[in-house]
Amino acid sequence: MNAQPFLRPFTAPAVLCTVGLVAAMAAVLQFSLRAYVPGSLEPGGFTLANFSDLLKPLYAKVFLDTVWICFLTAICTLFVGYPLAFALVRTQNAILKSILLVIVVTPLFLGEVVRTYSWIIVLGNNGFINSVLMNLGIVRQPIQFMFTTFGVVVALVHVTMPVMVVMLAAGLSHIDRDYQKAAESLGAGPVRTFLTITLPLSMPGVVAGVTTAFAWTFSAFATPQLIGGGKVNMISNLVYQLGFASFNFPFAASLCVAGLALTIVVLTVLRLAARPLDDLKAH
Amino acid sequence: MNNLADSRNGTASSGDDIAVRFDAVTKRFGDATALREVSLSVRSGEFMTLLGPSGCGKTTLLNLAAGFFSPDGGEIRIDGARVNDVPTYRREIGMMFQNYALFPHMSVAENIAYGLKVRHIAKKERDRRVEEVLALVRLAGMAGRKPRQLSGGQQQRVALARALVISPKVLLLDEPFSALDKNLRASMQVELREIQRKLKVTTIFVTHDQGEALSLSDRVAVMSDGRIRQLGTPEEIYRRPCDRFVASFVGDANVLRGRLDGFDGAHSTVAVGTARVKVPEAPLRGVALSTPVDLFVRPEQLKIAEICAPSAFGGRVAAQVYQGGHVDLYIECAQSASDRLLVRSAGQDAMTRWPVGAEVGMIIGIDDAVAFPVP
Ligand SMILES: Nc1ncnc2c1ncn2[C@@H]1O[C@H](COP(=O)(O)OP(=O)(O)OP(=O)(O)O)[C@@H](O)[C@H]1O
Ligand SMILES: [Mg+2]
Repeated sequence: MNAQPFLRPFTAPAVLCTVGLVAAMAAVLQFSLRAYVPGSLEPGGFTLANFSDLLKPLYAKVFLDTVWICFLTAICTLFVGYPLAFALVRTQNAILKSILLVIVVTPLFLGEVVRTYSWIIVLGNNGFINSVLMNLGIVRQPIQFMFTTFGVVVALVHVTMPVMVVMLAAGLSHIDRDYQKAAESLGAGPVRTFLTITLPLSMPGVVAGVTTAFAWTFSAFATPQLIGGGKVNMISNLVYQLGFASFNFPFAASLCVAGLALTIVVLTVLRLAARPLDDLKAH
Repeated sequence: MNNLADSRNGTASSGDDIAVRFDAVTKRFGDATALREVSLSVRSGEFMTLLGPSGCGKTTLLNLAAGFFSPDGGEIRIDGARVNDVPTYRREIGMMFQNYALFPHMSVAENIAYGLKVRHIAKKERDRRVEEVLALVRLAGMAGRKPRQLSGGQQQRVALARALVISPKVLLLDEPFSALDKNLRASMQVELREIQRKLKVTTIFVTHDQGEALSLSDRVAVMSDGRIRQLGTPEEIYRRPCDRFVASFVGDANVLRGRLDGFDGAHSTVAVGTARVKVPEAPLRGVALSTPVDLFVRPEQLKIAEICAPSAFGGRVAAQVYQGGHVDLYIECAQSASDRLLVRSAGQDAMTRWPVGAEVGMIIGIDDAVAFPVP
């Protein structure tokens, strides 16, 4: 910065955004510390009651469910995304590469709501999966996917996939192919080469992908709202209910603050756990 | 080191003397042909260098031996067995990469032990061999370090140790020293040659540095444009280049314009100004008398003589450069194809004997130059 003062004017947009963001956060924080006055949109005096209410089992469960869903989603996305990212980075075939890229990237352009609706069509009681299973006589009753954690996670995996694949592909493409060649020259077959060389060297990408997927899922709203249908709730759904159905802005604000704090804690833990991998990033 | 050397001798004594044989090998990348029917036999225990300008196909030939891709035509044999369809990991080769490719998540010892582990060698034996090879490359005590904690030269030696510890049938090196500075490069060259001699491991070495090729190799294959232009000992390559490409690519060469003057048994005579120079006859076979030819002569084979000597041609000293061990004289000469000739004089008195502006004569001894018809 100091060495290149002429760059200063270019930071103006970033400064503006930061000011706006900080102001909004301050407003939310301020709201979270005010009392709820039933029947009024104006908050009451300062209190910590909102935060102690968060500990009630009803709300605490939503927090735990959210973390659990984020965790499941991140892990499932990793397992589906890794082969995709690997194929994307390694294939020599230009056509296959384009097809993979389209599969991976299109969901990004559809938006969460559209994607979630398509999953309702697939997962519903009269949806694609159940129709096929029933027509084949494999099941008599439709399997309940809607309004279950399973259904929510499946849809969230799809929503999160592009982010995961992009992070993994970035990590994988930074691995010098000579490492693999070296392993092969030393007598390691493809499977051993993958397990002992490529996989360990891709761990920084895996950690980045899982972390981002986790944070990405944490803010999910439309998917749990539509597929969870009130039976599976994540923090954002609770915020919506309290803020826009009950107009309890102070409590909704305290949920936001607690959710943000939880995200920071979880991401910090993930980051610390990944410390030993920092060595690999230099390469 | 017994262990490594023993296993070497074992493979050397079985079967014939050729460790790696390329037989009319062709390799294409799309429309481009990287190798055109290249045939080359590398003897067991030999240090063979592939030398050539960028893009001539050296790396491609080495990668074919390693099995990183397969040839479009021809046959590759290692220890007599056809390996065209054998994947890299079954070829029993050792390879050293230009950027070393040491596994960053493993220690030095783990890197070296990798190939042994793959071969299911017991831990105790593994440790013993790792220690042995670390001593060979003079890195004892470094076993626990990570690659990034090593200097460039040390990483290089770990890479060499890793390739050697599995007693490969052939050691493949692709420009291994290009990333090192000049001094380190020279000492690594000596070290590599010593280790290679000690273990008698068949080695194929790729470089575009002709000095490196001449100083290290048992034999050199000079390549250009996907073909081997000349195969021979460093001395043959340097003293008897078979065509103008090899003559100008390997070592410094002065080019003089002359005319074919006559044949005399094993020699041809070339007229350069008033002088007559005897050169090997082979490259001029079938060329008509009085045809213009180019005479290639090394700077140290061009001798300064009295201007009046009968077999000398004349020139004028244009510049002197003191090089410590020798003196480089730049001489303007009517017969030179470029504007100046370079004469390398070992004598310390060259600076005073032939000052700038002096008229001098130059002579070329029998077979100290080669001539090719002007294309
Ligand atoms: N994977 C590849 N795909 C397409 N063309 C290639 C590939 N590898 C090499 N070539 C081409 O084949 C020719 C020979 O390449 P090669 O790498 O063997 O040259 P080289 O002699 O090793 O050169 P350098 O000294 O620059 O390393 C070049 O023209 C190159 O462009
Ligand atoms: Mg090369």
